[in-house]
Amino acid sequence: MLNFLLRRIVYMIPTLLGVSFVVFMLIQIVPGNPVDALLPPEASQEAKENMIRDLGLDRPLLLQYMNWLGKVVQGDFGQSIIKKYSINELMGEALANSMLLALASSLFSFFFAVLLGVYAAYRPNSWVASLGNMLAICGISVPNFWGGLILMGVFGIMLGWLPPMGMTSMGGGGFLDVLAHLVLPAVAAGMVTLGTMTRMVRSNVYELLNQEFVLTLRAKGARPITILLHVMKNATPPILTVAGLQFGNLLGGSVLVETVFSWPGLGHLIYQGITQRDYPIIQAGILVISIFFVVLNIIVDALHALIDPKVQRV
Amino acid sequence: MEANLDAMASPGAFKEDSPYRKALRAFVKNKVAFPSFVFLVGIVLATTFAGVLTPYDPYQGNIANRLQPVGASGHLLGTDEQGRDMLTRILYGGRLTLLAGFVPVVVSSLIGGTLGLAAGYFGGWLNTVIMRTLDIFYAFPAVILSLGISAALGQGMTNIIIAITIVFIPPVARVTETAVKRIRGREFIEAARSSGAGHLSIIRYQVVPNVFPQVFVFATTKISLGIVIAAGLSFLGLGVNPPTPEWGIMLNNIKQMIFVKPVLTIVPGIFLFLTSLTINLCSDGVSDAMQIKA
Repeated sequence: MLNFLLRRIVYMIPTLLGVSFVVFMLIQIVPGNPVDALLPPEASQEAKENMIRDLGLDRPLLLQYMNWLGKVVQGDFGQSIIKKYSINELMGEALANSMLLALASSLFSFFFAVLLGVYAAYRPNSWVASLGNMLAICGISVPNFWGGLILMGVFGIMLGWLPPMGMTSMGGGGFLDVLAHLVLPAVAAGMVTLGTMTRMVRSNVYELLNQEFVLTLRAKGARPITILLHVMKNATPPILTVAGLQFGNLLGGSVLVETVFSWPGLGHLIYQGITQRDYPIIQAGILVISIFFVVLNIIVDALHALIDPKVQRV
Repeated sequence: MEANLDAMASPGAFKEDSPYRKALRAFVKNKVAFPSFVFLVGIVLATTFAGVLTPYDPYQGNIANRLQPVGASGHLLGTDEQGRDMLTRILYGGRLTLLAGFVPVVVSSLIGGTLGLAAGYFGGWLNTVIMRTLDIFYAFPAVILSLGISAALGQGMTNIIIAITIVFIPPVARVTETAVKRIRGREFIEAARSSGAGHLSIIRYQVVPNVFPQVFVFATTKISLGIVIAAGLSFLGLGVNPPTPEWGIMLNNIKQMIFVKPVLTIVPGIFLFLTSLTINLCSDGVSDAMQIKA
């Protein structure tokens, strides 16, 4: 197992290099001189030339990339142009907030997806199953930022049950306060995952229920709960794989939801970067999310290998 | 969708009882997918002929008439924050959103399909180079990658289309490669080769017809995602400039009124949601009709 993990981590290195190169290249495809993108528009010619020299923009592309990478590996993402802060400071808190939101929406969507999916597989002709199917296809189709606006309009403003935006109330900030602010964005962000996972769980469990070992169990007079346990043991590995990918997508897809709800996470930071043309912030935000995505994939792979004996641990 | 039917309707595309004709028949009989398809055609026609259908100008509004509720006299879906007729702007706005979701799927299917075909058929180092390069793009969540590219390229619907196209190429290539690899070792390919067929001829007559259904079904699952991402990027301000109507930016503009008229903010999104929903229902129907799991 240790060997397997080490191998995976080594395999991860070329992917991470590729990812960092793509993110580095993003700034290069900005039309015009990169310095124009990096400096405020009123900067003097001298400042521009200084920056070109400081950033080594007169050097070959590959060398520039190595330099940038060297800094990033040491955790130095440079300076935000507009905010004049080090990006690291901005990034740390935003990442924590985004993780909180992604975790909350995964908990919400995974829980209901497994519940609905398993039930729909057991009773494919029940009204709950039909409702689940409808909810699933709507969940997949609904644009999460529009879903967010509706939730905000209905539950946040019209009914006033929950705080419509932000992460804490004025002067608040206790656990319950954050939790109340978390509900609407978590549901909005989780809808797509809920839809995808429900369909996936349903078809997986349905297929398993029709296999011979289930028939054997039934013939032996096993109790329904025992059969369910057997089925779930087989259904877990693929569900886990999809769940891992979905968690990564939640982290990435929350850009829009965070923007709608002014949730102070990475997505919101990237959005501010876009509106202010603050490219280093956009670059750092994308890089951090992507690195998380890659690492997450490795963790999912490892977990998969750990619980599924059919996966060869090499 | 229409492209699909056109392709199917072209002479010689299928003879009696060809699998495509069977699939088409099954699709038309589908009680969910076919009505969805009709609805979609309606949406496409309505946005295309918006100029004929509505008496209002999408750019001119009466500010005294702003934020009229749904069902107000003369304004079926109310008016927006500048007093412009909402339905008119939705119809005009759909053009760009639908285009930005549909074009990337077509282009990325062509590019990704070709790459996957080459990688799967020729194998070896070509496969390694193509597939490992595309793997890098897999390391990004789709929304984030399209966001990064479109932010770097700058504001504009064309750049959104380019960004989404790039994001869709790797998955299409991977599906195509897997499908090609599955049939590459089969006897009929061997038979064609031993009877002297060249690579191009084998690809054209043996490989493409066999992997096309798989890739086609997969591509249909990406259309609604394309439209939602396009509207989302535009919502973030990466698309058109106001006052040009487009679904994403319309939602962003009206969002500022959410504390005043919460219900009105729902309206411009309904068409986006219904379009995305019906496309997904169609895609499910196509997948069922062709008996291929996407």
